[in-house]
Amino acid sequence: MSDLMLIAPEMIIGITGLVLLIAGLFMGPTSKNVLGYLAVAGCLGALVLTLVSFGATGSLLAEALVVDALSQFFKLVFLAVALIVCIASVKYTEGNDNAEVFFTLVLFGTLGMMFVASANDLLTLYVSFELASLSTYALAGFEKKNARSVEGAMKYILMGALSSALLLLGISFVYGATATTSIPGIAENIDVLLNSGIGILAIVLLIAGFGFKIALVPFHMWAPDTYQGAPSVVSALLAAGSKKMGIIAAFKVFIVALIALQADWRMAFAALAVITMTYGNIVALSQTSVKRMLAYSSLAQAGYISMALVVLTPMALTGGILYTLAHGFMKGGAFIAVAAVVYMVMTKNKDSEVPDHLDSFKGLGKTMPITAFCLMIFLLALAGIPPTAGFMSKFVLFSSTIEAGLVWLAVIAILNSAISLYYYARVVKYMYFMPAESGERFPEPAPYVLAIIVALAGVLAIGFWPEPFVNMAMQAAEVLLPL
Amino acid sequence: MLPLLSLLILIPLIFSGITFFTKNREQARVIALAGSLITLILTLYTYFVFDSSTAAMQFEEMSNWIPSLGISYHVGVDGIAMPLILLNAIVIPLLLIFTWDDVRSAPNRFYGLILAMQGAVIGVFVSLDFFLFYIFWELTLVPLFFMVNIWGGPNKASASMKFFIYTHVASLVMLLGIFGLYFGAWFQNGVPNMDMLYLLNQFPMIEGGMVKDGIFLALLFGFIVKMPSVPFHSWLPDAYVEAPIAGSVLFILLKIAGYGMFRVILPILPDTSNPTLMITILGFLGAVSILYGALVALSQQDLKRMIAYSSISHMGFVSLGCAGFVAYSISGAMFQQFSHGLIMALMFMSVGVIKTATGTRIINELGGLASKMPKLTVIMMLTFMASLGLPGLTGFVAEVNVLAFSYASVPTYVIVALVAIVITAAYHLWAMQRAMFGVYNEKLGEVNDIAMYQLVPMAIIALLVLYFGLNPNPVFEMMLTNSNQIASLMAVLGV
Repeated sequence: MSDLMLIAPEMIIGITGLVLLIAGLFMGPTSKNVLGYLAVAGCLGALVLTLVSFGATGSLLAEALVVDALSQFFKLVFLAVALIVCIASVKYTEGNDNAEVFFTLVLFGTLGMMFVASANDLLTLYVSFELASLSTYALAGFEKKNARSVEGAMKYILMGALSSALLLLGISFVYGATATTSIPGIAENIDVLLNSGIGILAIVLLIAGFGFKIALVPFHMWAPDTYQGAPSVVSALLAAGSKKMGIIAAFKVFIVALIALQADWRMAFAALAVITMTYGNIVALSQTSVKRMLAYSSLAQAGYISMALVVLTPMALTGGILYTLAHGFMKGGAFIAVAAVVYMVMTKNKDSEVPDHLDSFKGLGKTMPITAFCLMIFLLALAGIPPTAGFMSKFVLFSSTIEAGLVWLAVIAILNSAISLYYYARVVKYMYFMPAESGERFPEPAPYVLAIIVALAGVLAIGFWPEPFVNMAMQAAEVLLPL
Repeated sequence: MLPLLSLLILIPLIFSGITFFTKNREQARVIALAGSLITLILTLYTYFVFDSSTAAMQFEEMSNWIPSLGISYHVGVDGIAMPLILLNAIVIPLLLIFTWDDVRSAPNRFYGLILAMQGAVIGVFVSLDFFLFYIFWELTLVPLFFMVNIWGGPNKASASMKFFIYTHVASLVMLLGIFGLYFGAWFQNGVPNMDMLYLLNQFPMIEGGMVKDGIFLALLFGFIVKMPSVPFHSWLPDAYVEAPIAGSVLFILLKIAGYGMFRVILPILPDTSNPTLMITILGFLGAVSILYGALVALSQQDLKRMIAYSSISHMGFVSLGCAGFVAYSISGAMFQQFSHGLIMALMFMSVGVIKTATGTRIINELGGLASKMPKLTVIMMLTFMASLGLPGLTGFVAEVNVLAFSYASVPTYVIVALVAIVITAAYHLWAMQRAMFGVYNEKLGEVNDIAMYQLVPMAIIALLVLYFGLNPNPVFEMMLTNSNQIASLMAVLGV
């Protein structure tokens, strides 16, 4: 396979983004709807291409980018999330004068994430990281007139800039010690970092940098406000997509480059995982805004995924990697479903302060049956009820913890999972057991429904027919930790 | 050859799906009934073809599902599962007929959930792969959660949440136990395999007494919370009382916890580091549940709550029978599950009829109903007698086997249970006397006797209680075959 074919999906996304941006200049607000469909087509094309070329390996740009099962798996995650987000955004950007900017930012954000997945060099990684971050900063503040959106975006940008600086500092320490920025190269020249204070310092800085994106406690401060304030489709992209970028980056840097220092960072991740999942779950219990609840639950889920870095066996990594895909569908679907509800509330009552308040979900089973049903499945999946993607991935991940003999960690995770059921079930309760204020059915906007159904298909496919996904995740895990 | 067991799972689930999409009550209940009747016919066929003389699995089906993790779709039945499937298949259509005229919101969901529940429960009974087992096990939670939460009583919200979270936590602990079995065998043999019988057979090979005990206790915890056993019972009275009558009956049919005791707990018990201790735990939990449930039932004012506590008491016999660990005590425990399903279904139905007719379930507000509701009184009398263990009815067969044959193993607990039986008789008779006999309470106004569509299903169950009481062999034989096999495990060890 020629070098360029290896990054064909990236090229499709990048070119689609540019075409959209230019085409948008010549279009009136009403005709811009077509741009959304173009973006969807671009994502779909890239997704299919990645899927058919799964298993291809190679490197390009002097090994700055490497394509292997791991990078392809994460590309699939990002593209699947981008696809869902783009479909739903067709409705969200309807009549918006800046639709082309929105879609271009989504696509460039995705492009950044995809390059992070392939990055084999800390500099490529950092630059790709920034591409994705800058795009999502702008997206988070897309609703310029909405004070919440602006506030969320501000927090996101400030915290993001800080963490970016810390990350760069961490990278510079690593470079200073090993004289290389190549990820495998670092592993070979790890001697100076080993047994020196610089190693610990670098680890702390890198964890802070990635922890911000993954939203690990205590680097999570921005997440609830940003997720709540951002347009729901953007929240979906942030929670389901860009969070995974932090995870793949952490996997690469810690497991491949800094494996020699594992004794130090495993401890750190163990503490962070436990604190993050517990904190996220407990705070989520008291939320009345559903987006905020999903934000905190997203912290908890990140805590579970981080367990893969603690357990560090092939099975745990398989579980963690599978979890990212499952979480992409579950969380993406859940946020889009909330987007549909917010859309309904805003249509009915333009001045609604908190459109995603739990009260808006009362009687949703009657007023928006498809959205309500799918949201219920997403929430049960997030809670880990079988037979869904959430159960399947928790099954692999949690069982790997037992396999590794870390029973205490499994017990904490499982107890957390049980707590989470309460707040997920509460939304279901509002949707199905409480009467709506006005009982008439609300026409569910087609793009939202389509996006939700795509996500639902993903959630159920991984739940019912996990074999191909488990196999792909295993191949991806083998890249990190050869059997 | 038809894939009988897959059909037994699929037909209720498919009909459940169809029922959800029906437009009115008429369609919903007819389709639901049709689905449950087809399930019944298939079950009866399976039952008559079933060979009671062997303890081996029958009608097995197996195909790969997730080979990389050693998970397969594997189903089969033996004498442990068959009677329980039969119980479900018989009671569900009768329950649908019983609720035929209930005016309900969202009838499509109501009937759809009943069938979904049936599919999930049968799924638990036939699963021979732990992964599949766990999936069905968790699935049974969802219909009941909705059942209580949509159609339940005034405290439905907290009751359903309590039930969901309590039993979900228990399931997760059980899952830890399953992981333990899975990896224990994986480490020994180098290949992943989730097959239930294989993993149970591999249990003795797992290294370390502590590890084995941990796995055993995790599994046991999962089952006894669901059963439920004192002190993990507190979700039950709330859930049973708040549930609508159909929901209470579904709870009763949820015999998966007791099933787990026979399928999973007893086969691995002899290989724990201290089987005597484990047996003592089982016996203790059983005896305490029997006594505590009976004492609390004695003090209840609400008829339904009384029945809920009596259920805790009766399920104690399952643990006690397991603690006996000889073929007849185990069979008695199995028979208790079967008998309890029939009797309790009938009891909850009776309470439902009384509540509809008089508007109350409080025993002191009733009185003298026998004169106005003679048909109901006859059935109720038979039910209460069966429940307190009158010879000739199913309850007696179960209890006498448990008590007589557990004595050698756990004598103290059997004596406790015997004391409790006196209390059991007391609260049953006392409730009957205050609610049904004596002077008619004029405040109740005009009260009509049970309607025909309710009488028929109740009468059928009552006749079954009588029939299996007089002639338990049709199901007892298959239970005994498997009990012999289980008990022989213990005998080999000479414990």
